[in-house]
Amino acid sequence: MVPRCQVEVLYFAKSAEIRGIRSETISVPQEIKALQLWNEIETRHSGLTDVRNQVIFAVPQEYVELTDQLLLLQSGDEIAIIHPPTSGG
Amino acid sequence: MSSLEISSSSFNQETKLPLSPPLVEDSAFEPPGKDINEVEEESKDIIKFTSEQLSVDEVSQLVISPFCGAISLFVGTTRNNFEGKKVISLEYEAYLPMAENEVRKICSDIRQKWPVKHVAVFHRLGLVPVSEASIIIAVSSAHRTASLEAVSYAIDTLKAKVPIWKKLYFNVRSIPDTLTGGGSAISCPYDVLHQN
Repeated sequence: MVPRCQVEVLYFAKSAEIRGIRSETISVPQEIKALQLWNEIETRHSGLTDVRNQVIFAVPQEYVELTDQLLLLQSGDEIAIIHPPTSGG
Repeated sequence: MSSLEISSSSFNQETKLPLSPPLVEDSAFEPPGKDINEVEEESKDIIKFTSEQLSVDEVSQLVISPFCGAISLFVGTTRNNFEGKKVISLEYEAYLPMAENEVRKICSDIRQKWPVKHVAVFHRLGLVPVSEASIIIAVSSAHRTASLEAVSYAIDTLKAKVPIWKKLYFNVRSIPDTLTGGGSAISCPYDVLHQN
């Protein structure tokens, strides 16, 4: 049994509007594949299914695609849901 | 010889740049010409996200150097239309401090590629009305080619990599349409937004 940890999920842009909040703390295994982590998050709000093909993670502040890549998490880590940037200019 | 020639008449000259973070470097700088006889001048990367109105004058002043003959600027402004719809304003949000770190990486990349002196990247957050600046990038260099190419690289890379998102507010029924994230509100892919 992989030990679990408490991580902070950060929502922005469209995903924040769907989820209705900007952040939440969830309990996840310390070792988890990125895609599995997304599935855990998606269970929080079915509307997030609409954006799963548009988003990647930033963990911690490094871009990670939703693949089988294994993530090693620690309590307090930030998991940001990142949509394609649309900054000024 | 300076290539800087801009009109800032439409910008509020009273705008003060708050001292609050995230200002990466101390913004204190010598007036142009004062340190002309100094042997060295430390290069600066000045990165700021602010909800206050941006001033082209202030940002360009930050990169002035007596060692440079060129200051190149990019100013991104809110356009009054998008796909035939009238835009009232844009609203920007960012994942700070990752956005700041990503901009810092871009500054570092620029210094690997071009001999530039100072780099300033200011991005406004929150509501940005039509015609006002959402981003100002200023780069100084000894000769124009370096700063011109660096500014172009900076805005292209910034738009691709820095976690900042905009929401467009149209005047249609006075209801905000959302283009952030999936862009499902009017079925607009992000790629279109990138082709500003």
